[in-house]
Amino acid sequence: MKRLICKRLLQIIPMLIGMSFVSFVIIQSSPGDYFAQMKMNPEISPETIEAMKVSFGLDRPFIVQYFFWLKNICKFDFGVSFAYHMPVRTLIKFRLKNTICLAIFSLFLSWVIAVPLAVLAGYKEGTFIDKFFSTLAYISISLPSFFVALLFVYFISKTGVLPLGGTRSIFEMNASSFVIFKDYMRHLLVPGLVLCFVNIGGLFRLMRNNFIETFHTPYVLAAWARGLPTFSVVFKHALKNALNPMFTILGMEIGTLLNGAALTEIISGWPGMGSLILEAVLSHDLYLVMGSLVISGFLLIIGNLIGDILIAFFDPRIRLT
Amino acid sequence: MEKTLEIKNLSVVRTEKKQSTLILTDVGFSIYKGELFCLVGESGSGKTTLALSIMRLLPKSFRIISGEIRVNGTHVLEISEHLMRSVRGEKISIVFQDPGAYLDPLFTVGVHLREAARGKTDNQQELISLALKEVGLEPEIQSAYPHQLSGGQQQRVMIAMALINKPQLIIADEPTTALDILTTRQIINLLNEIRLKHHPGMLFITHDLKLAASIGMRIGIMYRGHIVEIFRPGKEKPNHPYANILMGTIEGKDIKWDLDTDIFEFNRQEIVGICPFFERCPEKGQVCKRNIPFLWRDGQTGIRCIKYE
Amino acid sequence: MKKFFQRLKNHSRIAYFSFWFLLLFYFVSFFADLLAPYHFDHQFRNKPYHPPTKIHFVDSDGNFHIRPFVYNFVIDDPVFRTYKEDYSLRHPLKLFVKGDERRIFFFFKTNRYLFGVDQPAGIFLFGTDTYGRDIFSRILYGGRISLSISLIGVLISFTLGMITGGIAGYFGGITDQILMRFVEILMVFPSFYLMLSLRAMFPLNLSSIQVYLLIVMILSLIGWAGLARIIRGMVLSLKEEDYVLAAKSLGLSNWRILLFHIFPNTFSYTITALTISVPGYIIGEAALSLLGLGIQEPYPSWGNILSSTIGNLRVMGDAPWLLLAGIFIFVVLINFNLLGDALRNVLDPKNW
Repeated sequence: MKRLICKRLLQIIPMLIGMSFVSFVIIQSSPGDYFAQMKMNPEISPETIEAMKVSFGLDRPFIVQYFFWLKNICKFDFGVSFAYHMPVRTLIKFRLKNTICLAIFSLFLSWVIAVPLAVLAGYKEGTFIDKFFSTLAYISISLPSFFVALLFVYFISKTGVLPLGGTRSIFEMNASSFVIFKDYMRHLLVPGLVLCFVNIGGLFRLMRNNFIETFHTPYVLAAWARGLPTFSVVFKHALKNALNPMFTILGMEIGTLLNGAALTEIISGWPGMGSLILEAVLSHDLYLVMGSLVISGFLLIIGNLIGDILIAFFDPRIRLT
Repeated sequence: MEKTLEIKNLSVVRTEKKQSTLILTDVGFSIYKGELFCLVGESGSGKTTLALSIMRLLPKSFRIISGEIRVNGTHVLEISEHLMRSVRGEKISIVFQDPGAYLDPLFTVGVHLREAARGKTDNQQELISLALKEVGLEPEIQSAYPHQLSGGQQQRVMIAMALINKPQLIIADEPTTALDILTTRQIINLLNEIRLKHHPGMLFITHDLKLAASIGMRIGIMYRGHIVEIFRPGKEKPNHPYANILMGTIEGKDIKWDLDTDIFEFNRQEIVGICPFFERCPEKGQVCKRNIPFLWRDGQTGIRCIKYE
Repeated sequence: MKKFFQRLKNHSRIAYFSFWFLLLFYFVSFFADLLAPYHFDHQFRNKPYHPPTKIHFVDSDGNFHIRPFVYNFVIDDPVFRTYKEDYSLRHPLKLFVKGDERRIFFFFKTNRYLFGVDQPAGIFLFGTDTYGRDIFSRILYGGRISLSISLIGVLISFTLGMITGGIAGYFGGITDQILMRFVEILMVFPSFYLMLSLRAMFPLNLSSIQVYLLIVMILSLIGWAGLARIIRGMVLSLKEEDYVLAAKSLGLSNWRILLFHIFPNTFSYTITALTISVPGYIIGEAALSLLGLGIQEPYPSWGNILSSTIGNLRVMGDAPWLLLAGIFIFVVLINFNLLGDALRNVLDPKNW
């Protein structure tokens, strides 16, 4: 098991390098000099600009520039944002936390709802319950995330039940951390529910198909033949086997969530990585774009890794070969 | 002699896309205590359907439309599902073909065995160890996962699971078809030992007539959902034209068998009112064009053929 | 061909209709110039946020007329922008009405359109936006963009993916390794972020043709990687088939084998995958336009039309009909999904 993890971690390194290189190429291909904007900004002194130039090795050939940049990345120095006048790192740290919270929340919620419903629908395959939920799932996957976000935001704004935008309401400075936490969660609800709704359909369909397939396997028949009660057969054997491939999905879902989350964040005003990269693109804030891109790619790799580890943990066929 | 299994007039229908086909028609035979009864038939003849009918584990598209099945007196087709569940694995056990597929890949052998022996909490581990010893496996195998075992080992695990509760009837549905020849011999010997020791009735299903002839006490030959003959190998020769063709193939004779009218083609035609073997029978006649019942000679052997009554 | 349609119809009635429905959409958007009562940029400055025009059969006096008609809407309250119908004059709905002059298909000029009403009334089936432009017409024209970009993008992705996957799978070795590493790296980026970054590589203000091509290019670049990987897997297994060996022993060149023997066997999967990915491209383009990075004003795109509702909640309350563009996206998406699902079952050789 540990060997597996080490092996996967080693595989990641060339991926990370390749990814950072591609990001670098993308940014370098942007028109205009990096520093044109910065030079126009009176707040940034010429000395800072010169120092940055040296630290990024901009007077050196392309490959060298890349390595300088890579070195900086490893020190978590992503440069400075033009628009915010802050190190990119600070911005990313703050926004990343928000995106991760959003992702975990909607992931948890959609799984908790979709998986049991999928098992129910799979068990009662062909009945009204199955058809009903399958249709709902179909609608869920066909609705564009931004559309759902727009509608949801509209209704919430009309009824004023939940706060919109940002992560905090205006509070006195001495509010207890529990109150702050509750407030954060309330703000999380709108984008979280939207994301959950959009993803739940795909999850449901996958799980339902897995379950139906597992239900018709020979070993489930053998379980019935042993005289096992329905509860055992369904939950112990069928469900466990059906959940197996879902772990890889879990890893991939991190990627999907990052995507879906971005649009939802933007529309509902949740300050996360998605809105960050949009702002960066709109203001041509290149270092910020670069940093966001690299971090998001990194998150995806980590997500896949987690998925792989989970599946190795739960499937003895992979664990013990 | 005590009858372990008694089947009478069993008919099973399969409905697919609003079309119904008879899979089993008027099947009836008995198996005595301690007897090894071999059921022989080609793919598609309904052997597995028969096995699953006895266990009441038919898929949703199948339906038993008539018949009686009794296992040591228990009317299997009439008891509640709840009761049936206690019958499965206890009174009747089944060993499947291709054991690797019938073991849950996520659970160890030990879990499977404990599941089979569930309900007997007092001496569960004892029973498991005994069963493992009988099939010739080490107790350490309990911590292994199915994919780590060879085909022979997997099948022996399944057999151990089948005999843990000392069932009265053991159904073996082509247990050796997926195994190589030496392992096959091993498994056959094992099954025989079990039969001699514990005296369950054994229904051994196979498509290999030669194998059946070497181990069976009685052989039932199935063709397209009908039992066409039951005979005692070694003591009698089969008479039914289909049986003769099968025997001829074994003996290397030149047999003409038209594959275009293959049994397992998708559109099974129902033959009602004539002999099921009519299309291919080399000895058919006008007299065969009516409903041919199965005629018993002495309660244990019989034939479904007008010519060879 | 005919057999295929028959099988599709047998498998799923709904999917069969989806196919024709989508064809209808494409047809309508192709002929948007003739079908839309107004040009997409035709502004009615005196009718901003006009609600959808009501079509009447019975007039204010209670008389029934066979020919439907509309009343002119007049602003009731300029601050809250509510409208009132002016019952003084009936404007019957006319077919093949004369309207403003427009160019269609780049060459022809015409001024006759499918339906419309006389001035000063307007027929705004879906209301108007802030500039008083008819949303119905804009959606019709917008359909062109959304439907065509996705189709072209998908086709380009697929060509790229098939070629890459085919080469990597068939020739193997170093080529395979390099190509697949590259594909994997591309797949590491979340597509939305990659899309935005690629867009950032270019200036924000581009001409409409440039933007169109750019969006097509970006969408294709993002989508081809996944397909390449799968095609490579399929080619890997297909090249071991006997008929490939037979072709080789006949002396056929590798390219010929690849093109004529191996690729056709991937089509059953490819066509399904194609249909199922079109929704993603439509959403991609809509998302970009929604955020202002895609199709620019005055050209309409379904995402474009929705963009006026972002961040401006009052607009949504005042003019909810703008959301109809989203409904159109939803309808097209559902049909593509239905069709894709049915295709997957129908084209699967296991079901033949």
